[in-house]
Amino acid sequence: MLFEAESNKKKYTIHVNEGVLDWKIKIHQDKKEPIQYIVSKNDYQTLDKTISFIFKNSSYLIDVVGDGINYDVYTRGSYRSIKIFNDEMLLHESLRGGDSLSDDKELKSGMPGKILKVLVDKGDQVKAGEPILIMEAMKMENEMLATKDTKIKAVHVKEGQTVEADVKLISFS
Amino acid sequence: MNIKKVLIANRGEIAIRVIRSCREMNISTVAVFSEADRNSLHVMLADEAYCIGPAPSNESYLVIDKIIEVAKTSGADAVHPGYGFLSENASFARKLKKQDIIFIGPTEKNIKDMGDKLSARELFKKAGVPIVPGSPGPVESEKDAIKVSKEIGFPVIIKASAGGGGKGIRVCLDEKELPSAFRACQSEGENYFNDSRVFIERFIQNPKHIEIQVFGDSHGNAVHFFDRECSVQRRHQKLIEEAPSVSVPEEVRQKMGEIAVTAAKSIKYEGAGTIEFIFDNSTKEFFFMEMNTRLQVEHPVTEMITGHDFVKEQIKVAQGKKLSVKQEQIEKKGHSIEIRVCAEDPISFIPCPGKIRRYRSPKGPFIRVDGYAYPGYKIPIYYDPMISKLIVWGKDRKDCLKVLNRALQEYMITGIKTNLVLHRNIIAHPKFKDGTYTTQFIENEFGERKQKDFFMYVDEHVFLISAAITAYKEEKRKDISKYNYQSQWKNTGRAQSMRTQ
Repeated sequence: MLFEAESNKKKYTIHVNEGVLDWKIKIHQDKKEPIQYIVSKNDYQTLDKTISFIFKNSSYLIDVVGDGINYDVYTRGSYRSIKIFNDEMLLHESLRGGDSLSDDKELKSGMPGKILKVLVDKGDQVKAGEPILIMEAMKMENEMLATKDTKIKAVHVKEGQTVEADVKLISFS
Repeated sequence: MNIKKVLIANRGEIAIRVIRSCREMNISTVAVFSEADRNSLHVMLADEAYCIGPAPSNESYLVIDKIIEVAKTSGADAVHPGYGFLSENASFARKLKKQDIIFIGPTEKNIKDMGDKLSARELFKKAGVPIVPGSPGPVESEKDAIKVSKEIGFPVIIKASAGGGGKGIRVCLDEKELPSAFRACQSEGENYFNDSRVFIERFIQNPKHIEIQVFGDSHGNAVHFFDRECSVQRRHQKLIEEAPSVSVPEEVRQKMGEIAVTAAKSIKYEGAGTIEFIFDNSTKEFFFMEMNTRLQVEHPVTEMITGHDFVKEQIKVAQGKKLSVKQEQIEKKGHSIEIRVCAEDPISFIPCPGKIRRYRSPKGPFIRVDGYAYPGYKIPIYYDPMISKLIVWGKDRKDCLKVLNRALQEYMITGIKTNLVLHRNIIAHPKFKDGTYTTQFIENEFGERKQKDFFMYVDEHVFLISAAITAYKEEKRKDISKYNYQSQWKNTGRAQSMRTQ
């Protein structure tokens, strides 16, 4: 099975082939030579949903949390958020085209929190660096600034409202 | 009077910390919790637990009347406030006293005197404690702020009078930064502490944060338990604390201790307190910053090197007893370091609440973990992101660092981002190893723009292979479930035939 992966801002193509006794994994990073790993199934086991992986003779206890595209991999106190697409998803992505909503069209909540103050109204003209909203998350007050000179198209939240992560807060025109 | 039952007006690790000491003293414990903390560990560990309202702390943990009501109905004769929340709230102490409930902490007057940073500075100045040059009183306007700052000399630090915990504090390197910082401090002071007064003082470059643990009793005695260094901070919040500090020479330590005891006696301080100093590492001068009239987050490092349980000592003093030790009986042995494990992005320091999947804390010799996390626990968004404190001891600092490094390698938390990996990088840093680090250490060496690879302990391909195999299995599973769905009749038929045989 062929996957495209993105981790730490680097792109990879990964082939996964499952054999009876081992996994054949070929990792290809941009212009570098592809590297093939043959991982014995004995060296890659799942114990109580945790992965026990012996890599280059070193044993890693790994936890992978994924929703089909985004995979968070935790091991040795480190983690990586890895995006993985297979052929089918790649097709969907390409159909959607490059017209995904860019960051400067809207302000989203990076994490769950509470809206303390909305400093702008619909139709307001704002300058880059101007505070537009104050949000509180885990006791810290964060001032959200406009990233460029623009006009407020819509305000989607009210003061005092609690929001989840990745919620649209303000749209710009 | 002997305390028989203690209500703990707090949550998280400190609530558990207090429960533990109470249990050792044969005192029953009452926990209080908000609706968001139904499944929090302190609720499970206490002898009794009562819900005191909705998730936001100003509707639960900060509501004095609700807590007093629970204390009365449960028959608690004392309240331990922990740190944060109501721990430095004078009216809480007063209202408890009115109901004949013991407040395990300093007197109402102690809290008032030290809570207002301006009055604290004046009082201690009179007691002979060295003070950093600063504004003589609160600064009213931006114009005055500029004038005062020019007199003191830049860089300056602006502080809300009632500020704390990183709120209402701003550093200005020059005049340009002053107006907006001044406004921010005023409004944070107003919003968090209902007090918009701010003052300005000299900001010492290359400073270290050194504090002295003091203890007083109602009989006029006061002692100190040496120093702690808490210079590893981000956004003025401590990340790593150690005792003793490597930078403080023995004679300076002695002097700091004596001054701290004199200061505590001068205000008739009762219970556990911490006198914070800003320490100039090049001149070895120290200036009074503020006094915290509570048990500190980092108290365990001092417990580890002195062998005294401060919660027990607090309870004894609150019962009106004399301090159990005299100054000459207090000795320190070895070295201790505490790291604060927070649910936050190790690079941006943005809190990352969420559900913990795996949790395995380090074990073995000389390790203490004061935490409240467990597998499956969902960290609420309403409170502090700190989930545990890892405290280790070694016969000297070098030894201590080895234990800490080992403990960090054992610590496993998955499902949420934590700063464990940042801690591994910090303790491997030459400036941390040799002890020359200052309060700007994190900002200078680990700031967001430095682009350090925190994850060097793991081969990138380990991440990729595990993610790819998991994605592969997920795809396979989807295919199989599709197949199974199409042949439900066949499956049922097969199952039926198996049963009748």
